[in-house]
Amino acid sequence: MATAGGARALAADLEAGRRKAEPCAACHGRDGNATVPGTPSLAGQPVYFTHWQLIKYRDGRRKDPVMAPLAATLSDADMADLSAYFAAQRPRRRPSVTDPARVAAGEPLAALHHCTSCHRPGLVGQEQAARLAGQDLEYLLRLLRAFKTRTASDLDGTMTVATQPLTDDEVVSLVHFIATLGEP
Amino acid sequence: MRPFIRTSLAVTIVLGLASPAFAQAPPTWKQGQPAEMASSPLAPIAQPPAPKAPGEIPVDKIKVPRGFKVSLWAHGLNNARAMAWGDKGTLFVSSRVAGNVYAVVDKGGQREVKTIAKGLNLPNGVAFKDGTLYIAEISRITKMARIEDTLDNPPAMEVVYDILPRDLPHGWKYLAFGPDGKLYFNIGAPCNICIPPDTHANISRVNPDGTGFEYVAHGVRNSVGFDWHPVTKELYFATHARDWLGEDVPSDRFDVASKKGLHFGFPYCHQGDILDPEFGRGRSCSEFAPPLIKTGPHVAGNGVEFYTGSMFPAEYKNRAFLAQRGSWNRTQKSGFRVMMVTLRTGDVPKYEVFAEGWLQGDQIWGRPVYTRQMKDGSLLIADDYAGAIYRVTYQP
Repeated sequence: MATAGGARALAADLEAGRRKAEPCAACHGRDGNATVPGTPSLAGQPVYFTHWQLIKYRDGRRKDPVMAPLAATLSDADMADLSAYFAAQRPRRRPSVTDPARVAAGEPLAALHHCTSCHRPGLVGQEQAARLAGQDLEYLLRLLRAFKTRTASDLDGTMTVATQPLTDDEVVSLVHFIATLGEP
Repeated sequence: MRPFIRTSLAVTIVLGLASPAFAQAPPTWKQGQPAEMASSPLAPIAQPPAPKAPGEIPVDKIKVPRGFKVSLWAHGLNNARAMAWGDKGTLFVSSRVAGNVYAVVDKGGQREVKTIAKGLNLPNGVAFKDGTLYIAEISRITKMARIEDTLDNPPAMEVVYDILPRDLPHGWKYLAFGPDGKLYFNIGAPCNICIPPDTHANISRVNPDGTGFEYVAHGVRNSVGFDWHPVTKELYFATHARDWLGEDVPSDRFDVASKKGLHFGFPYCHQGDILDPEFGRGRSCSEFAPPLIKTGPHVAGNGVEFYTGSMFPAEYKNRAFLAQRGSWNRTQKSGFRVMMVTLRTGDVPKYEVFAEGWLQGDQIWGRPVYTRQMKDGSLLIADDYAGAIYRVTYQP
């Protein structure tokens, strides 16, 4: 609840973000580069992306037993600080095990399915569209499958629509390719 | 006119009707883009995840006619969109991607903002009648009875109608009570340009008890703003036109549905006089209702509201305010303003700027999306980009 006179400025504070990110480190890594398989890295994620995801965890649209109670305690200013902090960290490719045949099959699929239209060339993300390059393979697989089965929270429906034509075999190839992108 | 050159007939795809044959469907906003424009930097403007603080909202940049004044009335409403008044003076405000519905309560000149519903599916529509708030999400209309007595502990949302299409593209709804007591809303085309299913690209209505669903207007790509003329009671509505056909075409439109069942041209004919290069073949624009006003290319006309108050000068009576959220599919931005329309018997309507200034050069700091009159005749303007509501007053 905000009052007309009393809402605080939402200008993000990187140092505050660093402090507020301490409870996130156990799963997402101190600098937002996670090492736990299945857990996404947050380093280098666009500010808008992280902020919108936190809003969705807080209001229940995005469901996760760990994230929901954490997000419930965050104010709008906390979210702005955290999003700015993670966006400023250097993203490192996750050490996923990828299959070269899958990677080769996945590359043309990324072009065919217009992934770069929103996620930009190199799949580095922008605004509300996530950085995908070098993300954890297991996490990408879980999320794409959830979009396909219409069980993942989707801000504007784009990913739900985008995943419908994909077979599960194509989803697997696609995430193998995506996991190879980015710098180590 | 500077149309994009079309060298090939790119296959246009009906989004939402996915099958292996449609494997290359681009995201909705990019669909219909000519191949030679594939590297165009034009893309929708991202919605900020947080409202702007008052110090970041330059209200003084909003220009209005002489004698009018603009002030910041409320802020901190993430993604604030459509507005509806409760009987007891509560302003209900919708949002889209923020998923919230807000209640704004005026307490001695200070506005308190309460979030009364959250986590909803693009809840763009709010309407109020007889103590009950109605909310339109993508595929359903719900209600909260006696809401103004329970703002701090809102009741569960009760389903009114929940068998609407589930498509997200252009699936968010404007919602309003017509003079006939029915609830009106849009079912937009689930694409930029496509032959929509028969169930889409229309304005529809249903009784407030969920019975009697029917289509009111067809061939309407996406109308997220409408109102009824205070005297004639006819339905007037704004429509967003398709993208990727050109910088200056097609124009968005402002229309009147003088009777039920008219077809307004989508996807065959745009702005009343341009056949769609793919879907217009073998058709003629004379088959369809022409626009009352071509409101401009890519302006994104949202809110429509006839002025019935007495604060503004007499000539404002029965004028329509059109809130234009502004373009993305145009190199030089257009819209980002509130226009006004004066209907004139036997003459073309007068169409002129009422409020502008959210666009400064090539930079935007806000997007006016809906208006709502206050009891005293002043006019509220919601800005979904800044998460704010402005109030326009007049003093001679």
